[in-house]
Amino acid sequence: MERREFLGLSVAAFVALPALLSATDFRAAKPDAWTAKTVEDAIKALYGSVELIEKDVKVKAPKVASNGGAVPVTVQSSIPGKTVSIFQDANPESAVITFELNEYSIIDFGLKIKMKQSGTITAVVEGADGKLYVGKQTLEVALGGCEG
Amino acid sequence: MRIKAKIKGDVVQVKVMAKHDMLTYDQAKKKGTEANFITHISAKVNDKVVYDASTSQFLSKDPLFQFAFKASAAKPGDKLEVTWVDLKGNTETDSKEIK
Repeated sequence: MERREFLGLSVAAFVALPALLSATDFRAAKPDAWTAKTVEDAIKALYGSVELIEKDVKVKAPKVASNGGAVPVTVQSSIPGKTVSIFQDANPESAVITFELNEYSIIDFGLKIKMKQSGTITAVVEGADGKLYVGKQTLEVALGGCEG
Repeated sequence: MRIKAKIKGDVVQVKVMAKHDMLTYDQAKKKGTEANFITHISAKVNDKVVYDASTSQFLSKDPLFQFAFKASAAKPGDKLEVTWVDLKGNTETDSKEIK
């Protein structure tokens, strides 16, 4: 009986937590995505699929980044989406960020990321239709950003 | 935190700069300390979430977050409230009036 009550309580606590945060913590929900070594593994861990449609996602970054510690990246798309994620293949792990979208969101995100070496930035838009749309940008990094 | 939020037509354009070292696991190892970086950042207006991101160690030091959201969620004078949490559980909240 005690065990049953305990189980009931922990389920209740688990369900209540995301409601309090009013948003998804993708680090807690999909831990494997954040330790994945390749972009493909990270996408698979996050979305359960690697069937990507290469269209309508624009990734902008300089062709040559002078400072790998702060590479400016923007991702734009007009696809009605649920989430947007950015990955790269220049660092030991590939996940950079996952945005959760709602009715107020516009897919126009800018950020600065670290890249240890030259590589490709991949942005995935999880569409409201459940399909995964992808855009990529390859760039050269003159001075790596993870040496610290 | 530095926040700029401005309504332009039917969108609100926002720039946020958080102050954080964003130490990766590699960098921390070299410095003989523990990794720590922002793991989640969100922004709200009038209790409506307008930005929400789970983040990794690979954002730059003092990371920049640029985004836009539909102006139907806000009007000039409303407060945009931004909160981040890092790996160690530190959190910071700041707000700014939307212009």
